[in-house]
Amino acid sequence: MDTAKRKVAIICSKGGLDEAYPALILANAARQSGIEAVLFFTFWGLDVITTSKVDHLHVNLAGNASSGMPTIVAGLPGMESLAASMMKKQMAELDLPSVREMLQILEESGAELYACELAMKMFKRTKDDLLPIVRDVITAGDFYDLSEGAQIIFT
Amino acid sequence: MTTTLQNRDLAAVMARLDAMDARLSAIVARQEKTDELFAEMTPILRDVMATATAKLDGLEKKGWFAFGRELAGVAERVVEGFDPREVHELGDAVVSILRTVRALTQPRVLEVAADASEVIENGENAAPLGLIGMVRATSDEDVQKGMAVIMEIMRHVGRAAKAVQAERGARDPMAARKEKLAAALGPRRKRSEAPPATVGKAPVAAACGGVSRGADEPLVDPKAWTKEAAAEIAASLGVPLDGARWAVIDFARSEFETTGTSPNIRRLTQGTKLATKDIYALFPKAPARTVARIAGIPKPAGCI
Repeated sequence: MDTAKRKVAIICSKGGLDEAYPALILANAARQSGIEAVLFFTFWGLDVITTSKVDHLHVNLAGNASSGMPTIVAGLPGMESLAASMMKKQMAELDLPSVREMLQILEESGAELYACELAMKMFKRTKDDLLPIVRDVITAGDFYDLSEGAQIIFT
Repeated sequence: MTTTLQNRDLAAVMARLDAMDARLSAIVARQEKTDELFAEMTPILRDVMATATAKLDGLEKKGWFAFGRELAGVAERVVEGFDPREVHELGDAVVSILRTVRALTQPRVLEVAADASEVIENGENAAPLGLIGMVRATSDEDVQKGMAVIMEIMRHVGRAAKAVQAERGARDPMAARKEKLAAALGPRRKRSEAPPATVGKAPVAAACGGVSRGADEPLVDPKAWTKEAAAEIAASLGVPLDGARWAVIDFARSEFETTGTSPNIRRLTQGTKLATKDIYALFPKAPARTVARIAGIPKPAGCI
């Protein structure tokens, strides 16, 4: 399998704990398979690389048919935190790294992480609010330049 | 003797001449009659011809000849455009087409069509209808009935479409053959499962007594693995083996021997106390897989 020229560009647009992992795992699997990986965090996905938020990502249960919880219960205060802590416990049992660790692993493996300029303005964040592993704040056009020849995955 | 003979001959000739005369006069008489007939018929024929010409002229004016010529042209185009089988089928279809036309032109059906066209003509008076308006309109009894009729029509159209599909499927002679071929060949191989066509790797596997089973399978039998084989595989992958790399390979082998599973990159970092970054520096391309290949163990399972 020739992976020499393969490259993936993954757009991470959601900030839920369960929504962040797929993008991070896909990127990590790409690097482990010798495939280049670019990650672009936009909108709620910015929370994943924001220093103050990365350790407090929640699981959104309301409106999620797979959660198995009635929406009226899922909407109660504290349910998101409870679900998030339950999921984190389960992930630890599987020896799954935390989001912060996953990002660190990705950075070390050579994956490139970028933040969306427009989303940064919308949420009034500066580069100082982001984790230091984020290479740059770029526009959607820059993203296309960086993802030339790559397969683009939207999550 | 001679005289009598002559007399007899003469009599015979005379008799023949008589008969000929009679025939001749009959011919003359007929000729005369024909002449008379012509004389009588000429004015009538002239009249007939005049009428016929006028009639033909009239037909021409009405465009019948042009129609006829066009019809011939149509027939020609049909002959050019369709093969005999299709024309035959068309002939069969004409009956059902005519039947359909007859059904459509029944007075009651025409009445419905006239009603409908009247509605369309007065369409400007109809108020625009949104989704909610549409739902509200369904409470009207007439609308309900109309919907039921349209549903019934749609059911028939669907059935007909299905029948056409089935007929087409049956008519495609390649479909059955393709199916048979697919059954004989088994499930299609994915491209990635194809054995690697690398020239450099196969001799290594052969030299080590192992069997190459694909790019991600171990190149050597784990039990038949030797340090020399590892060195050869590493060389074929372009990885120089130094102390740091040997430490990782040794850990991977001992991990496989004790747990029965190949370590993923997380286990490698935990076991060797190296950072992810360092592992990637030692084995830049697909580190855990590369380590597994050099160590002669299966490729690591799992996502992390």
